[in-house]
Order: sequence, then C-alpha cells, then structure tokens
Amino acid sequence: MTAIPRAILAIDAGAATTAVAILGRLGGRWRLVGSLVGPAPVDPDDLASTLVARVRAADPGLADAIGLDPAAIEDLPRLEAHSSPPVSLGVLAASRRAVGLLTGVAERTSWRVVPASPESHDPREMTDLALRPEISALLVGASEPPGPDERAAIDDIAGLVAAVLRRRPELRVVVAGPIASRRSWADGLGEGFAQAAERILEAPPLGARSGPDEALREILEGLLPGAADTRHTAMRTLVSLADVLDRRIELIEIGFDGGLRAVAAPGVADDGPSAEGVRSAGGALVQPEPDEAAAEEVLAWTTGSLDRHRMGDRLRDLRSRPWADASGEGARLRLAAARAAMTRLVDVTPDLSARPAPDLTLVAGGAFAGAPGGSIVLAVADVVRRTGATQVALDHARLLGPLGTIDDPDDRRDLVADVADDLLSPLGSLVIAAGMPPRLRGRAATGTITLGAADGRDGNGGGGATGTKRELATGELAILDLAPGTQAEAILEFRDSARIGRRARRFSVPVSGGIAGVMVDLRDVPLRLPERRDRRRAALATWGEQVWPGDDR
Amino acid sequence: MTAEPRPGIELVPPRRLLVAPVDVFFDLHPGDRALVADGDTIPVETPLADRLRDPRTAVVAGTARGDDAGEPGDRWSPAPGRRGQEREGERPGELLFRSGGRWRIGTGDHAEPLLAPFGGTVHEVRPGIGLRLRSGGRALVGVETLAGPTSGRLSIVTGPDGEVRAPQVDVSAAGAILVAGARIDAEALTRARAVGVRGVVVAGLGVKERRDFLASERRGRAAVHGLPPFAILVLDGAAGRPIASPVMDILRALEGRTVAIVVEPPCLVVDDPTVDLPRPPADLVWVRSGPLVGAEGRWAGLAGPRRFPGGVVLEAGFVRFGDRPPVAVPLGDLERFV
Repeated sequence: MTAIPRAILAIDAGAATTAVAILGRLGGRWRLVGSLVGPAPVDPDDLASTLVARVRAADPGLADAIGLDPAAIEDLPRLEAHSSPPVSLGVLAASRRAVGLLTGVAERTSWRVVPASPESHDPREMTDLALRPEISALLVGASEPPGPDERAAIDDIAGLVAAVLRRRPELRVVVAGPIASRRSWADGLGEGFAQAAERILEAPPLGARSGPDEALREILEGLLPGAADTRHTAMRTLVSLADVLDRRIELIEIGFDGGLRAVAAPGVADDGPSAEGVRSAGGALVQPEPDEAAAEEVLAWTTGSLDRHRMGDRLRDLRSRPWADASGEGARLRLAAARAAMTRLVDVTPDLSARPAPDLTLVAGGAFAGAPGGSIVLAVADVVRRTGATQVALDHARLLGPLGTIDDPDDRRDLVADVADDLLSPLGSLVIAAGMPPRLRGRAATGTITLGAADGRDGNGGGGATGTKRELATGELAILDLAPGTQAEAILEFRDSARIGRRARRFSVPVSGGIAGVMVDLRDVPLRLPERRDRRRAALATWGEQVWPGDDR
Repeated sequence: MTAEPRPGIELVPPRRLLVAPVDVFFDLHPGDRALVADGDTIPVETPLADRLRDPRTAVVAGTARGDDAGEPGDRWSPAPGRRGQEREGERPGELLFRSGGRWRIGTGDHAEPLLAPFGGTVHEVRPGIGLRLRSGGRALVGVETLAGPTSGRLSIVTGPDGEVRAPQVDVSAAGAILVAGARIDAEALTRARAVGVRGVVVAGLGVKERRDFLASERRGRAAVHGLPPFAILVLDGAAGRPIASPVMDILRALEGRTVAIVVEPPCLVVDDPTVDLPRPPADLVWVRSGPLVGAEGRWAGLAGPRRFPGGVVLEAGFVRFGDRPPVAVPLGDLERFV
C-alpha cells in the first residue's frame, strides 16, 4: 500500500522563468503552501530549496506537519511540466494558394511555420529549406484533384520531398492530398520506400478554399514531444477546473515560445466536461527573429518614445534573456509585447472568439508574472474584444501545467478541487459593452452602473464598494473598486440600448472583486486606436494610468 | 584563496564563460561541395568546402554515369560528349531531385573556399546540410555571430565600455580581430571590412547596425570578387552595455594570439590549450540590465520578493558595489560567471 504524501513539489519549467510551488496536505485536503519564480537557467531544486527554507522559517510547525526539509528536496514527490523548445515545420505545396491553406492550419499548432512554394522559391531554395537541420518535419499538400494552379509544379514538389526524405532519415513528413500517387514521389523514394513509410503520415487533402483543420492539426500536434509540455497539460487541468467550479472558463496563456487559447465547459447531463483549444507558436511573447513588423506590432501598444530601431533592440534583448529587465519600462514593454502576442493568438482563433463571454477568464504564462493586476485585466480587455461580463483571474503560482501531468482524471480532479481557490488569484471583473449610438460618444451619462449586493438587495453588504453608483460615457474605460473575494451584482442602465452579450437597455450581471476591481469597458468593439502615433499613445496612456502605479509613470 | 559566496547565489542566472571541447557546425547548401570526409584530422586554414556564391537550379537529363540512376545529394558532372546540348548544366552541381525524367541540380558559376578557422577532427559531413569540426581547445561564448567564420590575431582597440567609430579603424588592423567594447557603428564596420580586418568582438550590436551590415554583406557576396572572411561576434545582445570584466580579462589574456570566430555555436575559439585564461571570483555578479546595467559587485545574499518600479514584485538579491551598502537588484537582472 502506498502512503499518501504530505507534500508535493510542483515545477513549471518555462523557457524564460521557472516556477516552483509546494502543495501540502493539511486537515485532509491539499493547500498551496507557497510558490517562487526564478530565472529559467536556475536549477528548480535550488528554487525549491529556497522556498522550503522560507516556509520553515515562517511556520516551523507547518513545515514539520507536512515534512518539509530543505536538505531533502529530491525526496518530495513531483509534478513537473516544462515548455518544450520550439520546432520548425516546413510547409511546401505547388502553389501559393495551397501553401496558404496549409499554413493557415499549421499556424494553429505549436509548430513554427516556414512556408515555401514555387512562386516564392526556386527548387534549389526549397530543397535548401527542407534540408536545414532546424526543420524537424515537412507538411506537403495538394487539392484532390490538383487545382489548375498546382498542376505545373506538383510533380516537382513530390520529387523534391521524396528526395529530401532519402537524405534526412530523421525527418518526418505529413502528406495532405494526392502527393504519394505521383510518379516522381515513387521514383524519388526509390528502394527506400519501405524504410521511409513509417516516417510518412497521411492527412486529408486540401479543399479549394480551406485546409483539413481538425484532422491535420491533430496529426501535427501528435508529432511533437508534448507529453509533459505545459501547454498540453494545462488543457487537462482546465477541464478539471471547469468541472470543479461548474463554470465556462477561457484560458489565455502567453509564453516565451508560444501561446494557448482554450475554452472549457463543465459537463452537462451524461456528457463530461470538455475543452477546445488552440496552441500556436505565433502566440509567443517574442518571435525568434523579431523584425521591423514585430517591432511595429509592439510599438502600437506602447506609450513611450522608442523608435522602431530601439524597439527592435529591446525585443532582441527580451528574446535573448527573457527573464531580465522585468521592472520599470521593461514591465511595460512586456505587457505591450504580450498584447501583440495575444492579438496574434486571437487572430488564429476566430472560432473561440465567436463564443459567448466565459464565466471566468484565466490568464497564465510568464509574460504576466509580477505585473500589476489591473494592467493584466486591461491587456485582456484591449485584445479580447467580446461583449459580456467575465471574471478575470491569474494562475499566479503556475500550477495549471504541473497539475495536468496527473494522468488519472479522477485523481487530478480531486487535487484541483482542493487547490482551486489557491490556484486562482482574482484580478477582478471585466464588463465590455458595445453597440451604443455613436452620437453619444464622449458625452456623460450614456448610462450608469450600480454595484449592489450579490443577493439582489441594495446596500453595502459584502464589503468593498457595493452600493456604488457611477455614470458611464461611451468610449470610456471605468474602474470601480471591489475588494478581492467580494461578490456583487452590477446593474447597468443605458439611455439607448447597448449590447452586453445581448441587446437591451438594462443589464444585471454578477461581478467579483479583485485587485483591479470591476472594469467597465465602453470602448469600440473591436478596439479602434487612432492612426497617428502621438494620439494613439495619448489614448493608451489615458487608459493605462488607471492601472499602473502613479509613481512610475 | 577564494571565500565561499553567501548562500542564495545559486538563484542568480549563471553565464558560462568557456566551453570545452568545441564542436562547431558549418552549414552547407545544395550545390556546395565538401572537400573533407568524416574522421579527417585537419590543420587550421584547410579548405573544408567550396561554397557557391551564385547558387541556382539547373535541369539536366540524367547522371553522367550511364545507367546509374543517381542519388539525391550526389555530385553531378557533365559528360564530355554532352557539352553543347546541356547548356544549363555545364557547371558541375549537386543532384537535388528528379521529376519528369530529368534531374534538378544545384549549381553555380563561382565558388569560394570555406577554410577551417581552427584545426580539429571532421565529423558528420552531410552534403547540402553541413559538417562538424571538433577541437580540443576552448571557446568564449557569445549570443550571436554575423557572417563568418574567420580567424585572426586578437587586438583590443578600446576599453570594455568604449565605442569604436570609423576614424579609429585603419589599415594597421588588417588581419586582426578587433575587440570593440560596448558598441560599434555601421560605418566603422564597413571601414573595418574595407581595410582587411578579419572580425569584430563587441558587447552589443543594434538592429540598425545589424541590418546595415547584413545588407552590405549581401552586396559584397554578389560582387564579382566576393569578400574575404569576416565575422562579428556579439557577446551580450542588441543594447549597448560594457563588456563584463571576466570576459574582458579573458580577451586581454588572448591579445596578440590567433583566435577564430565561428557561427554555430556563436563563440570565439582558442585553439591553444596552453593559454592560461583567468577565472572570476565565485561571488562576483554583473548587472546585465536595469538602471544599474554594467555595474559589478559582490553577492551579499537573497533579499526576498521586492517591489520595483512599475509596481512589479520580483525576487531580488543584495549586491555590494564597492564599499557602499548592499543594494537590492532583481535576480533576473544579474549574472554570475561559471
């Protein structure tokens, strides 16, 4: 019989930072005892040893009760997730259209995509691309039957990929469409056909206007060594969390090498909880080779006076030492880069954007570590422009990944049920309204918001700022204080109708308090920023000064 | 004797100064021709490969070896009798793939030799992909190498926080690898290239200088006579910051000796195992970013979580700069040398 451990060490080893957390079993349930984040090059055991020593110094009785000893870190049971290093996928097809369709699917995976077609590369350049050691797999595809734009070069592509397969025995190839039926394919593989067969995976062919999204993504994700990858395991924890809390939860994770956007829903009737998500290398905080376009994307969210070259310098340094320069202007740069990354992630997940606002938006990833809570909620509000009300919380101890390494869903659910309250750091509530008549822009008293007690009675019950009434103007970003842990009901009344999930003049939405309070966003949906840089910076600064500490502006 | 540093220094990100042995990858592209084989032991400046300067695709009817079907990656040479008919394939090349019964080859009119920047043993020769050269020497690690590889005599032309400008580069530096301090501008790089400098070691290279240099390289490579070997080793990143003293001490110890700059991994290779390279004290920490960038001090212990500008709470450590009281610095902004 195996004894139940009294403490567990959870490790989320990211590419930029490593987070360690101690879970202790106290009074028959698991609790988060403490967590610590350090630069990625630091040994997680050294971080854990420091954390355990702090717990022991703060509460020796607690440390004894759960058996914590700084000298015996290696004896602790571990839940360890890590960010897998990024890998590149060469995407080849016989026309620019076909490459575009394949790229559209591949960008919704954790692969970094390198596309090429005969319209952009000559055969030697395409061979060169496919032979590069950093290309770990190839995706080659064609329509069934091949389109007019593909017929001229499809044999060349088939022969090229077959030849590369012979030259690189470690390479895997995903074939989507009638490539393998071409004679040049069989000629190219020659006598090595049997040996190469196990490295070739078949996927459905391309359509005229779309790629085989779900099936192809599954194959591509299956090629990645992702068993303990944080963005894979976090999805499993998300399902357990939705089940435990009985809430629809959206997870937005921005990491150093990729991002994850997922929506989980609790089970209904006989159906268990479920999740749907997209991992994308495009959601990385900074791309490996930040170019001028990347600098412009981040500059669009900054209020400082950096020019494109200096911004490029900052991004290259952020890429090379992502754990450094995380305070002051560096913190603002990170949040600007995180907005740019979220924008890329949202762009490749229109299916998730089309869903109603979730009950809870969970933000995760090293990009948000240590940032002021209000600035995180504002970053989400700036990019995920969906009307409705949602609570926003942060995975502050970075437990989503490690907890997801528990294979048994029942065991995982039990642990998540115990630590759910500790796992989520409430940042506040976000209410996004749209659809007010443009003629009311900038005028006071477009509407009002009143915070009442959660049970429906007016007054000051429950603490925080319940009973608060505030006027709202179209285009405004309003923040109302509501203490963490406080539940309230927000009554929003508009002079004309507005849209908060549905169209009406009066809305009643439940809100929860947090570090950022309740943020009511009446800006455009989607957000339209001024074209002129000085005006755009002024608008961003006006919104930002409500959430960044005043002494640092 | 060096005293043991205070506890907690293990949470400061380590920076590895030297690696040994050195295993360097030289990339080859379709059409390039390897001149060495697995297991060859070669001295410095041995030609490793012929690299095409003007690579292109050509279509040829078949291999020159009669009934031999040919393998992708094999060399292709025109049979004497075919001259005149196979105008596109007159130059030798590398078989890429076959389609419609004809081979596509990678070929070009002009090649330049890739010379070994240090001596060692060749392994993993893969046509069209690359080869590896292993040396028993040591290497000082940087973050990026542009162009290269190259080798030359190391010469220090400015201090660790200096900046090199074009007038400071003259013909007396021909054949040398210059240590250029914190920054170097694009004009100085162009002049260094022009007077025959073989390479530059610099702490930071901004994206503007990087872009200008790479554009100049492309133009030079496309020119008829090509370019002599040249490389830039960037030690720290894009923003200008002084070269850390442990790195500078090593560079000073190497001044006047022949060293090499290679691309993958980006490093400065010291092929002479007899050189005594200094090591820094174990408790020395360097501030690589933040308001105190470039400062060096002694580790004075963990400071715990601290609130820093921007309202950000970060793990910090105490650092003693000179005789002043210890200052709390975010752990992520520090580096120690191992």
